[in-house]
Amino acid sequence: MRLPNRIGSSGPRRLVVAVATWAVGLAFAAPLLWILINSLRRNDQIFTSTYPLSWRSFLPQPATWANYELVLTGQFGRSVLNSLLVTVIAIVVGLFISALAAYALAVLRFRGASFVFSVVVLGFLIPFDAVAVPLSNLFRSWGLANTYSGLILPGLASGFAIFILRQFFAAIPYELTEAARLDGLGWWGVFWRIHLPLSRPALIGAGFTIFLFEWDSYLWPLLIATDPSMVLGPIALTAFNGQYKVEFGAIFAGSVLLTAVPMVLLLFFQRYFTASLTTTGSKG
Amino acid sequence: MTAGPTRSGGVPAPERPRTGSFSRLRRNLRRSPAPQALAFLAPALLLMVVLRLAPMAGAVGDSLFHYSLSTQSRRWEGLGNYIYLLSSPEFRQVLAVTALFLVIIVPVQVGLALLVATLLAERTPGIGAVRTMVFLPVAAPAAVAALTWGVAYQPKGVINAVLGWLGLPDQPFLSSSDQALLAIIVIMSWTGIGYWTMFLVAGLQDIPLELYEAAAIDGAGWWACFRRITLPNLRKTLAFVVVADTVSSVLSFVPVQALTQGGPSGSTRLIMYDLYNRSFALGDTSLGQAEVVLLLICLIGVVAVQFRLLSRGEA
Repeated sequence: MRLPNRIGSSGPRRLVVAVATWAVGLAFAAPLLWILINSLRRNDQIFTSTYPLSWRSFLPQPATWANYELVLTGQFGRSVLNSLLVTVIAIVVGLFISALAAYALAVLRFRGASFVFSVVVLGFLIPFDAVAVPLSNLFRSWGLANTYSGLILPGLASGFAIFILRQFFAAIPYELTEAARLDGLGWWGVFWRIHLPLSRPALIGAGFTIFLFEWDSYLWPLLIATDPSMVLGPIALTAFNGQYKVEFGAIFAGSVLLTAVPMVLLLFFQRYFTASLTTTGSKG
Repeated sequence: MTAGPTRSGGVPAPERPRTGSFSRLRRNLRRSPAPQALAFLAPALLLMVVLRLAPMAGAVGDSLFHYSLSTQSRRWEGLGNYIYLLSSPEFRQVLAVTALFLVIIVPVQVGLALLVATLLAERTPGIGAVRTMVFLPVAAPAAVAALTWGVAYQPKGVINAVLGWLGLPDQPFLSSSDQALLAIIVIMSWTGIGYWTMFLVAGLQDIPLELYEAAAIDGAGWWACFRRITLPNLRKTLAFVVVADTVSSVLSFVPVQALTQGGPSGSTRLIMYDLYNRSFALGDTSLGQAEVVLLLICLIGVVAVQFRLLSRGEA
């Protein structure tokens, strides 16, 4: 039976839908392609090759790696490494802390669990950026400015991660926990040997949200890490857009590098991420 | 003992002979003392105090004083900072610009995300590739989106080149107070629409096909199905997306900081940029903190709605 939930029900309609769909896809992808092409262009050609538009606008001619060399050998390379380090630590430690909390809330049935759950999730739903300015004052007075700890700490607890993991833990049959307890496993053992290994999809989904938070963060590193050795990737990128000199080629090469990392992860893990989305707001 | 204990909402456990001591053991194993739970929760609760409560309390405290940079002294101000802010024309313009921004960006992003999600649900050749193309910009960090579009918006940039090819006149974009805010909305929508589409695609997949089968028997067309079945069943997802998009849009900061610094003539001075600029560039921390508190009051309301939408998902 043909269902009426599709617009493309007849030949001509299907053609219109196909053209519209591909046009939308190309519109989203075109800027990325343009960024990639410009990253391979000589600085002086970035504007002359596209204005006015000609066939030359679509190919870097001659192609050059100079922008990537400039970007990787300078301060920017160091900043990308800083970003990677901060992000990886935040994901590992953040997942651990979130999973501990989610486990306590989903499996350990103590009095007031649902109240604590509300407080924790509600608290972390308050977006971090809204408290970033007052928090940066506190962090400076605690001596955490320009330290890796200062950069990492805000990413360690995510309400979204706790929420996803708690949903997943709660769906694990309680009989499994009981059986393990009868066999003499402690609460820690149940967490470490049963709930964590069974929750890979949820951990990937939650890890992805922590990743995006850390990798994208801009306001916080701008506030707390101003020392050149501690600057993170996105801030270093804006430095190419200087007040007196703009390094156009470097902006594009740096953009490619900063986008490539999440893009690869997105392509690999999109399935898990979308799956974790269904367990949150969307399902009812 | 006749029947096994029933777990809340569950089916009664099958009757099974059981000695008293076994059932006590079972109860003991099941019960977890609160101290255990507290130990598991401690790191998250500690972070909650440090990363949310402490800065919120700090902002409220600082906003009640006047801090003088020249004399390094604090003077009790009460609600003076708030009164000053709310009566100053500059701050009123910030609120007006932020409201205008929200009123445009949220419907545009959610509407287009719904359109894109609907198209992605069609059986079009190569739909997997299109789906990837729509989602890929989500990977671009905000700084990347802002800076690259900033180059595209230049007077001799690629967008004016395309307009020229179409026979249209050059546009000023970021340097015009009429266009700058819209230009920023376009930048944020390039990455934002794909992100919200992900939620809506997931929501569409959750609608039971049986509903459409029933509609097919009744002879309903696509539009009737979309209005009577798709939209009502997508209501919760849409509500969540609208609220979450509102929260993230209120916090828009990167394109303003990187491209326009609030200009031209205050037309892009969104609240996050204003409170950042007031606190650091202008060094007026007390007013900046009062602004943080006002922002938090608005956000907590929105977040409470978001929380209700989230928890409605669980049984």
